[in-house]
Amino acid sequence: MTDTDTAEIGMGVTVTKTGETGAFGGELLTINFGPHHPSTHGVLRLIVDLDGEQVKRLKPVIGYLHTGIEKQMEALRWQQGVTVTDRHDYLSPPINNLAYALAVEKLMGVDVPPRANALRVIMSELTRLSSHLVWMGTSGLELGAMSMLMYCFRERDTILDMNEEISGYRMHTSYIRPGGVMADATPRFLDLLEKFIVAMPGHVDEYEDLLTMNPIWRSRTIGIGRLSAEDAKVLGASGPMLRGSGVAWDLRKQMPYSGYEGYEFEVATSDMCDCYGRYLVRIKEMRESVKILRQALDRLPDGPVNVDDRKMLPPPREELETSMEAVIHHFKLFTEGYSVPPGDVYVAVESGRGENGCYVVSDGTHKPRRVKFRAASFVNLQPLERMAMNHMVADMVAIIGTADTVLGDVDR
Amino acid sequence: MGQNILTTSLGKLIGWGRGNSVWPAQFGLACCAIEMIATATAGVDIARFGSEAFRASPRQSDLMIVSGRVSQKMAPILRTIYDQMPEPKWVISMGACASTGGVFNNYALLQGVDKIVPVDVYIPGCPPRPEDLLNALMILQERIKAQGITPRQ
Amino acid sequence: MISENLIVDRGVSAGDNWITIAAESAHEALSSLKEEGYRLLVFLTCVDHLADSSREWPSRYELVYQLRNMDSLEQLRVRAFVDGDPPHVDSVSDLFPPGNWDERETYDMFGIVFENHPDLTRILMPDDWVGHPLRRDYPVGGEVVEFSEEHETWQTAPDKA
Repeated sequence: MTDTDTAEIGMGVTVTKTGETGAFGGELLTINFGPHHPSTHGVLRLIVDLDGEQVKRLKPVIGYLHTGIEKQMEALRWQQGVTVTDRHDYLSPPINNLAYALAVEKLMGVDVPPRANALRVIMSELTRLSSHLVWMGTSGLELGAMSMLMYCFRERDTILDMNEEISGYRMHTSYIRPGGVMADATPRFLDLLEKFIVAMPGHVDEYEDLLTMNPIWRSRTIGIGRLSAEDAKVLGASGPMLRGSGVAWDLRKQMPYSGYEGYEFEVATSDMCDCYGRYLVRIKEMRESVKILRQALDRLPDGPVNVDDRKMLPPPREELETSMEAVIHHFKLFTEGYSVPPGDVYVAVESGRGENGCYVVSDGTHKPRRVKFRAASFVNLQPLERMAMNHMVADMVAIIGTADTVLGDVDR
Repeated sequence: MGQNILTTSLGKLIGWGRGNSVWPAQFGLACCAIEMIATATAGVDIARFGSEAFRASPRQSDLMIVSGRVSQKMAPILRTIYDQMPEPKWVISMGACASTGGVFNNYALLQGVDKIVPVDVYIPGCPPRPEDLLNALMILQERIKAQGITPRQ
Repeated sequence: MISENLIVDRGVSAGDNWITIAAESAHEALSSLKEEGYRLLVFLTCVDHLADSSREWPSRYELVYQLRNMDSLEQLRVRAFVDGDPPHVDSVSDLFPPGNWDERETYDMFGIVFENHPDLTRILMPDDWVGHPLRRDYPVGGEVVEFSEEHETWQTAPDKA
């Protein structure tokens, strides 16, 4: 092969002739797609063999955002690790916190109070909404519906304002912590939430007006990236990828956590098995999330938001001035941290993009021995070759888009 | 080129033009990229400062916003993209991870993007608010306007 | 059904059922568990027990396979202890397709060699990376933080930092 067989054609794409002959008599071309191509949702790199414009082979290359989060967790104390969990799936930080917090609590045998559980559900559902909004905005942008980005980010900003109100941080809230939540909800937060719940169904209608019957959107997504129910199960897909193939599997229903068994909602599924099916699932999920928010807000119980365990959480500020014991507890917690009994546990929660699990191993010290994140995007990316096979290269953008992989989650 | 009345006046004009039409490369890495997208949307609207044209090709862009953590695997690619940008070019290091490695002090990440490319403006925050990015852009604009015809000499 | 002689040990950890199998029989045991209905491999990973004095460990590396039966909602954790440099174990990517990338990640991070894997290459780290980062004897890395204790030793003896 000579140098002239390889050419860079811009936008992070290089083309190489393979010398093989395709079905149409032409030569197979290898193109390198990424890792900074704008439609790959981050830094995904794909090596694609094309026959004409049809995808014949596809190999994802990942690791361009490998952050060493699992190693970093081993160097941090149990309560410090929460801040790092935020940052692997950066579109759903509170859900990552929740998986880690539930795992640590399960190892310690701690149950959080009902108000903390309700606040956790509220934050999880808000996050699911904001994650779906980012997905819809960016996917719409890629497939030619630019105004979707503007509409979706408008609502996302109201959610981030609520995050800021309750935790002081827009994106990486670290709000859900082992033993409860960071702080109680403020009255202004509940006000904003009430307004949001009233307004959101109308906004979802707005998105549906723009996309559901939009001929361009439909022709770009219907029949593209088919994944049968059997394939989806075998390949381990989860979340909207699995439900978009008609499998009613939702961890909030199947293996409830944080009191999800007490809320009434439907599991969104679609039998279309294609990109459009996954879009319908996400739209339905947004409506169901609003329903859960409504129930959670109406039934928000009173009471503490943290476990009453001085060995795990610091004492309240006013106790520090009167009680020597409280000062000792405070000192121990912030110099050494708490230790977790030896053992291992796996907890899975449903995030916006599937099963987000956390496997924690403790050796009885104040730092974890091993923390493994079961990333939904990591598994959901593997069927990409099967879905993109024999599709046009332009449809690959739709398929990557609706798989909704977050590269931070893939590479961790 | 020496400084005289003609070149300083021309320099002002060119600086004004360059400063108000900074085209960033569309180069999202991690969490900060989402806030970078938010900067381009209607709420904050980076178009007010002439920078709404996020170019997918580095050959057409003047500004690289390093939005997020840079891994050891990504570093050579980031440098390639920087080299592909035509002069004059500027770099904003957005967020704690790009500036210093942030909360991740480990084997996998580059501890600050200034190890491989020269950075003009650093933004603190994890991730910074969209307003922070706008502020950085305005600081950069002032700097570009002051640089005249031949920046980086 | 998985025959009892494949199971070395069994128990419950924080509510999760687990069994231990011999690493040599990993493929056989997991294929009979798949027959039994555990058709989903949720994740596969490894734990490095180097210098862990809290419990007795048969060997340094523990492979963890988390299995799930999606019909009965049962979960089972399968452990296999391996040793050696590098440790070897049979690949299960032919039984469970998601295992393919998980095994590549485990190879990348712990240096465990999966026999009969179709493409056992590094997945997260660059191809020319030396070492396996998640092993406990691999340093966390990064830079020395100024004004920390490590920084003082680093200032006096840069070679020993």
